[in-house]
Amino acid sequence: MRPFKYTNTNSSSDAINLLIKNPNASYLAGGTNLIDLMKEDVEKPNELIDLTRLALTKIALLPTGQNGISIGALGKNTEAANHPMIREQYPLLSKAILAGASAQIRNMATNGGNLLQRTRCSYFYDTAMPCNKRNPGSGCAAKDGFNRMHAIFGWSEECVAVYPSDMAVALSALDANIKVIQPDGKFRSISIHDFHRLPEQQPELDNTLKRGELISSIELPKNDFANHSAYIKVRDRNSYAFALVSVAAGVVLNGNRIVSAHIAMGGVAHKPWRARKAEALLKGKMATVANFELAAQAEMEQAKPLAQNKFKVAMGKNTIVSALSMATKGT
Amino acid sequence: MEEKNKAIGKGVSRIEGILKITGKATYATDYPAKNMAYAVLFKSTIASGTITSLDTSAAEKSQGVLAVITHKNAPKLNLKGGLRGGALLQSPEILFHGQHIGIVVAQSFEQATHAAHLIHVEYQKKEGKTDFDKLLPNAEMPKGKELADLVRGDAKAAFENAAVRVEEIYETPIEHHHPMEPHSTVAVWEGEQLTLYNGSQIINGAQTAAASTLNLKPEQVRIISPFIGGGFGSKGGQWANLVLTAVAAKMVNRPVKLALTRQQMFNSVGLRQRNHQKISLGASKDGILQSLSHQTTSHTAVDSEYLEPCGDCSKIMYEVPNSLISYRVVPMNVILPTYTRGPGKSTGSFALESAMDELAYKLNIDPIELRLKNEPKKDPSNGKPWSSRKVVECLKEGAKAFGWDKRKAEPGTNKIGDDLVGYGVACGTYPARQRDSSAVIKLTKKGNNVNATVEIAASDLGTGTNTILAQTAADGLGLAMENITVKLGDSNLPPAAGSVGSVGAASFANAVNDACTKITDELLAKSGKQFFVRPTAKDLMISENVSAFETRADAKAPTQADQYSAHSFNANFAEVRVNALTGMVKVTRFLAVTGAGRILNPKTARSQIIGGNIWGIGMALSEESIIDPRWGNFATRSFADYHVPTNFDIGKLDAMFINEEDKIPNKMGVKGIGEVGIVGVAAAVANAVFNATGKRIRHLPITPDKLL
Repeated sequence: MRPFKYTNTNSSSDAINLLIKNPNASYLAGGTNLIDLMKEDVEKPNELIDLTRLALTKIALLPTGQNGISIGALGKNTEAANHPMIREQYPLLSKAILAGASAQIRNMATNGGNLLQRTRCSYFYDTAMPCNKRNPGSGCAAKDGFNRMHAIFGWSEECVAVYPSDMAVALSALDANIKVIQPDGKFRSISIHDFHRLPEQQPELDNTLKRGELISSIELPKNDFANHSAYIKVRDRNSYAFALVSVAAGVVLNGNRIVSAHIAMGGVAHKPWRARKAEALLKGKMATVANFELAAQAEMEQAKPLAQNKFKVAMGKNTIVSALSMATKGT
Repeated sequence: MEEKNKAIGKGVSRIEGILKITGKATYATDYPAKNMAYAVLFKSTIASGTITSLDTSAAEKSQGVLAVITHKNAPKLNLKGGLRGGALLQSPEILFHGQHIGIVVAQSFEQATHAAHLIHVEYQKKEGKTDFDKLLPNAEMPKGKELADLVRGDAKAAFENAAVRVEEIYETPIEHHHPMEPHSTVAVWEGEQLTLYNGSQIINGAQTAAASTLNLKPEQVRIISPFIGGGFGSKGGQWANLVLTAVAAKMVNRPVKLALTRQQMFNSVGLRQRNHQKISLGASKDGILQSLSHQTTSHTAVDSEYLEPCGDCSKIMYEVPNSLISYRVVPMNVILPTYTRGPGKSTGSFALESAMDELAYKLNIDPIELRLKNEPKKDPSNGKPWSSRKVVECLKEGAKAFGWDKRKAEPGTNKIGDDLVGYGVACGTYPARQRDSSAVIKLTKKGNNVNATVEIAASDLGTGTNTILAQTAADGLGLAMENITVKLGDSNLPPAAGSVGSVGAASFANAVNDACTKITDELLAKSGKQFFVRPTAKDLMISENVSAFETRADAKAPTQADQYSAHSFNANFAEVRVNALTGMVKVTRFLAVTGAGRILNPKTARSQIIGGNIWGIGMALSEESIIDPRWGNFATRSFADYHVPTNFDIGKLDAMFINEEDKIPNKMGVKGIGEVGIVGVAAAVANAVFNATGKRIRHLPITPDKLL
């Protein structure tokens, strides 16, 4: 690990100012990903600005009229997953968080930090390898290499990495908004769908945050599918592994007819992949396995798998069907 | 199994357990030394070629750095000193990706790690041998004589004439040992005397290899290794890191600590090689084997040969008149493979026992029945009688305990919700051997209180060696276990075999038992008296009022042991659930039934067996390391990519032992259980997956994508 300066503060404006002053500084929250990357010499900040003293940890109802809840960015993942309000109103989020990492990591990891996880592509981690995300212009080793875990949607010639968070997949299905504090002290809200980006020609950028911006909370609008939601994560072992494919699904039902379906996928793209095509096909249809299969098929037909991950197309289809069936059955 | 008033046969908890759970057990890096410096290795980023430039100037100037050691300034070492895997900084030549190319020594670990990032290396690259699949057609005959083709009858003709045939290729990937304790060493020089604190499965082996490599006499080197945080073969032979720590300590004239990082563990301490195995089975219509061929191709290092003997199980498991066991090898620019739990037998049994399951399915007979039909009366490979063999009992008693009768013979027909349920069975074996070991017993008496110290340069991998030796000594001397102190893990103690190849328990316990018998005999002789009932050493210490007495025994295997074929055997039963939509597999139940002679301690024995089962389940379902042939590096480079089983992957585990008295391989009747616990496991799981889904996966691991 390279030497770095450690700074802490209990004021968000101080934190922002400190970060803007030093172009090589990074924010530090739970550190469960950043510290690993520093040990691997992938991230090389010369200053860490510790945010963990900021009072941005609360989980609370949004003000009346807004109908929803706000989850503090610096609250721990474990706390969010186990919070009664989230378990009752957003069980999908709870399930997705608990499908990720290990109990120890979730105890350290923050909600905001979870959103900012970097890819687990092993070429990104290995500094002896080319990687456009780590070292722009050096090439993508994964595209013609070991890419079993990689993207089937939205990749570019420059990068085929996937975004690893489980939590964010649920947030996508839940249409969350990410509230950030800007350097001028004003807040702005970014839809989860616009927060992460596809790699395009700039895979070094994972998201649309601007330098200095600090996530303050994640806001979840009210939904009508709390009792009809499911998160399924398919992976190489039963816990503590990143998704081959994951699906977060919620269905709003009127009897057995689908009013609306909300489907997001993990492990398939550089961001949580919202299955809009499947959703559109399901709207107004009966909640039957045959309809789920048609919708899932239509979604997965758009996939462009790589040499080693063709299986993700069938796996994605099956997992969508399985998640929709579970969601329909309800809790 | 349990005898009254005897310590042996009781399920005693590990005597060092409290030390371990309270953090007081001293593993290699726990040894303090005044003025310790910290070493970090840095490694090549090419697989084949030569270092043309190595700029260490920035690192040398970096804060806290005491020395940077590379091939340019390293002392001359003996490359044939008995260490495995080379990488001793003796030349600029690179033979595999991740070869050590230097060490940074600094005041702190962090400073050393940082400085290592500042080193700039340039290479002249050569095209590396990094693609096993491409190299496969050019495989060569191995150099090792024990790996020459073993031919009995005419396997080819018998196969072609057989009524029912199975011929398939089975593939197992590169796997790593990854003990919880990474390989680590503290080196302390006092003048020309060197002490190495280092987890070592073979204490005397580590001593002689380190001494010889450093051009020292063995008596100048002391190995201290009372606790080992797992090894699984990777701490059997020793690797460059052991001696490089000593080199660094000499150069900076301070004690030095060097611990490999988890990432470095992938390419520093050997691995289980990839095996490409072709099995050809021919049988009559009623399921009598006519022909068995097991042809394995593996890879080894470009400068040294190690092959795990995948054909070993096939040599002895079944009665078959025509057989061919062969090995071919591909030299690759990859670190030297090495002994890995159940070497050859775990991987070889996957191929053989999967093929037997395929044959049973083709014949439409129960896979247990097929095995019973082909049970050999004597060792088919050499005609020797078995010292004991309880395969039939393992299969029959296991089937009963597991509820085998609930298995549905037709695959894919047992469904619960979206889950397909399947049962699988597979057998395994591992040789039982006793190796030369010496032990000293020291008795002391205060008043009527007699205490004993047992001294032996044995090692305890965490498996319970300390405990079984205390049990053995307690019974051998007539003492309670709390009056026994076991000293092991130190090369200054009487020399012993290693904790390798399942020889530990037999070799160490017989040495201790012999020393107990001898000390009792000597006390009897000293007393000059005759007794109706033979007194214990304790009785004699008291009756003859001896305050201190000691003796040493040098134990060897019984001379007649060679005339028999002695092995442990097992039968493994697996129940799996496979999600029909996602392909995810869970082993819901696993039972291993083992015939391994006398079980000294059923509790630690059970732990060892289920530990082997868990690795076998990992082998079946998730463990795989992948080389990117473009660079020769591992694309799987951390525990995020290399999937060992988690608690959630493991269902209910059970271990049963068949009563077996067999004093042919050694006087104590101990056959060894460390290796056999993993043998047959992967096949049992794969066979259960077939029974559940109708899909025969011949290329491990069985990840969800293969079942869609």
